[in-house]
Amino acid sequence: MDTVSRPAQAAQAPFPKSHIRFFEREAPLGFLLLAPTLFMLLAFLAYPFMVGLWLSVTDSEVGMIGRFVGLSNYRFEFLNDPVFLTSVSNTFVYTAVTTVFKLVLGLVMALVLNQAFSLQRFVRAALLLPWIIPTVLSTLAWRWMFDPTFSVVNWVLTHSGLAARGVDWLGTPQTAMASLIIVNVWRGAPFYGISFLAGLQIIPVELYEAAKMDGATRWHQLLNITLPMLRPVLLVVLLLSTILTFADFQLPFVLTNGAPYSSSHVLATWAYAQAIQGGAIGIGAAVSLVLFPVLSIVTAAVLIVLRKQD
Amino acid sequence: MVDERAQQRKAWTRRRLLQTAGLTAVVVAADSVLGDFGGWTRAAAVALPKPRAGARIRLLQWNSFVRAADDELRRQAKEWGDANGVTVDIETVSGDQLQPRTVAAVAAGDGPDIIQMQYGWPHLYTASTVVVTNEVNTLIERLGKVHPVNEAFCKVRGEWRAIPYTQVPNAWHYRTDYFQNAGVKSFPKTWDELIDAGKRVADATGKPIAQTVGHAYGDSLTMWYPVLWSYGGAEVDKDGRTVVINSAETEAALKWAIRAAQNGVKWFPEWLDPDNNQAYHADRISATLNGASIYIREIVEFKKFDQVTGLAGMPGGPKGTFTLNLAMNHAVMRWSKELETAKAFLFYIMDKANYSKWMAAARGYNAGVFEALYDDPVWKSDPNLAAFRNVVVDPAGKPIGNWPGWPARPSKWTSQSQTQYVIADMFAKAIFSGDSKAAMTEAEAKLKAIYGRP
Repeated sequence: MDTVSRPAQAAQAPFPKSHIRFFEREAPLGFLLLAPTLFMLLAFLAYPFMVGLWLSVTDSEVGMIGRFVGLSNYRFEFLNDPVFLTSVSNTFVYTAVTTVFKLVLGLVMALVLNQAFSLQRFVRAALLLPWIIPTVLSTLAWRWMFDPTFSVVNWVLTHSGLAARGVDWLGTPQTAMASLIIVNVWRGAPFYGISFLAGLQIIPVELYEAAKMDGATRWHQLLNITLPMLRPVLLVVLLLSTILTFADFQLPFVLTNGAPYSSSHVLATWAYAQAIQGGAIGIGAAVSLVLFPVLSIVTAAVLIVLRKQD
Repeated sequence: MVDERAQQRKAWTRRRLLQTAGLTAVVVAADSVLGDFGGWTRAAAVALPKPRAGARIRLLQWNSFVRAADDELRRQAKEWGDANGVTVDIETVSGDQLQPRTVAAVAAGDGPDIIQMQYGWPHLYTASTVVVTNEVNTLIERLGKVHPVNEAFCKVRGEWRAIPYTQVPNAWHYRTDYFQNAGVKSFPKTWDELIDAGKRVADATGKPIAQTVGHAYGDSLTMWYPVLWSYGGAEVDKDGRTVVINSAETEAALKWAIRAAQNGVKWFPEWLDPDNNQAYHADRISATLNGASIYIREIVEFKKFDQVTGLAGMPGGPKGTFTLNLAMNHAVMRWSKELETAKAFLFYIMDKANYSKWMAAARGYNAGVFEALYDDPVWKSDPNLAAFRNVVVDPAGKPIGNWPGWPARPSKWTSQSQTQYVIADMFAKAIFSGDSKAAMTEAEAKLKAIYGRP
């Protein structure tokens, strides 16, 4: 009777014993749990990246897979394309300047928001608005504010007596780059601010109290407690922001689209012009991948610093 | 043995020749007899594509600046769809979104059955389009010759890759009241006169003549290529590979633009296509070059300056008067599972009566590009609209206009130069630096990089 009933019971059990044993082993279970993430990374990051890499060493055009041409797309861009060289320098300037401003403004924002004051929650929510609004919409609004005929900024400048005439915001290479930087800082600073605020709130209050007892000024507290304790958050935010700003497309595309006379192109908009508008997918892929080594070095450096800190 | 086969081939060829000649004679005779029953019957002698009942097709094109034109197209799509048991989805996107959407479809090898091809796109996406030579030939039988500009864009290596559809004619919109206040009686006929008029109008009214010199995919091209050509300049030679931008003629054109800026004409390097429309409607400028959308919105919607808006064609330079308009054509895409249905729908909207209804809805914003469509009643509905018709065909009915890269044939290189705004950038650089030679040299380097590619 027993011999007959046991197999029947095993068949009714939700998991056979061998399966349960498999799940009890740490390594297979770990790999199993990792599998969906791994699949997503392979399918949506590694595969497109490898395809992009392959395209950059071919003479592919839209709708036509090309031949392998080695590094000639890269050589061509560095040796023959003046707009590409301008785009490289613009991308570095754009990333460096905006990162410095966002860092300083974000820190100030976080330190202010970390204080108790009335309407604190409202102000915190309001400061996040630039980050929440879709980039295209907010950039269009800025474009309108910088418009040569309708600029509200110029109206304020001239009517308040701050300037005799309006600024040609998008009409010269220098002001166009400055406009890009202003809008990027306006949009990106809240991300820094909120991230730093989260970091500030986990710093133990006891540290500040002990410092006060020892006679430390606010400035000393900032240098010796706040900044060192914020360092991990600061480095991660810096890393993310640098990568996102290097690859920024929407904002420069909507605000200037390279104008005036292709002087405000960044690598992302120039890659788009080459690959999507001009159909030269191979060259466009090369333009967009030029920064890969630079970004890899920045990422590696930040990760090494973080690991050392751990 | 080889000789024998060759002789057999020769004999077969002679026999085939006689057969073919006989067949041709029968077809020609039948055709001329059928032709007596009218043009439609003539065309019916050629097998027309037939829609498949139950099919669903999708057409992707831009949002017309005149919404009524899109509404009329949708109405026709429904009318034809209902009659044939076909569902036609018309999807419209903003002008600058059309190309990314097209590229995505081409790269994926899937997407809309019909895509509107602007400018030289059939030369960029040739492999993704089907040959429609028979269909265009049938339309030519019905409607006469195709406008040379649309033909140049649609025909790739002797094959029609898109069905000619329309042009968006560009003419100068100007404020007659401001011009009269300044003592300028009519719109300038030459570029030099435009400087003179621009100065007088700006001095008298404070409202400049203004146009984009930036990255506007329509207005920049329609303005600056004709200026370049009218001084004898060109970006590339007829062979389509030799860059010829660095010339005394180009420099003369650049110097004209610099002189105009010094005399009160405003060239905006940051303006995109809608910006001159807004400036005109907001009474900030006295004249600008544009499609009919400014005029149409004034007479239909705003009614502020409709009575004081004049329309005029392009001024000319030492080498003549040139025009360039936005050209649009329809390509049937290779991946479509409903090729015949898609072609049949395009035949329906190209039917003269249907096309005329669409032209009426567009109120002169669009111009027909087959001979029989040049004299559409819409042009007589409002005498002012003649300015738009006259930049597509001259008053004698002869088609006029060129394309970016002319005198070279459209190619992927002319398209790349166009999408990178090399010519507009050259003018912008010259205007804002005052150095025409440096601007020309920079443009030459960019063009050599483009035309030097394999």
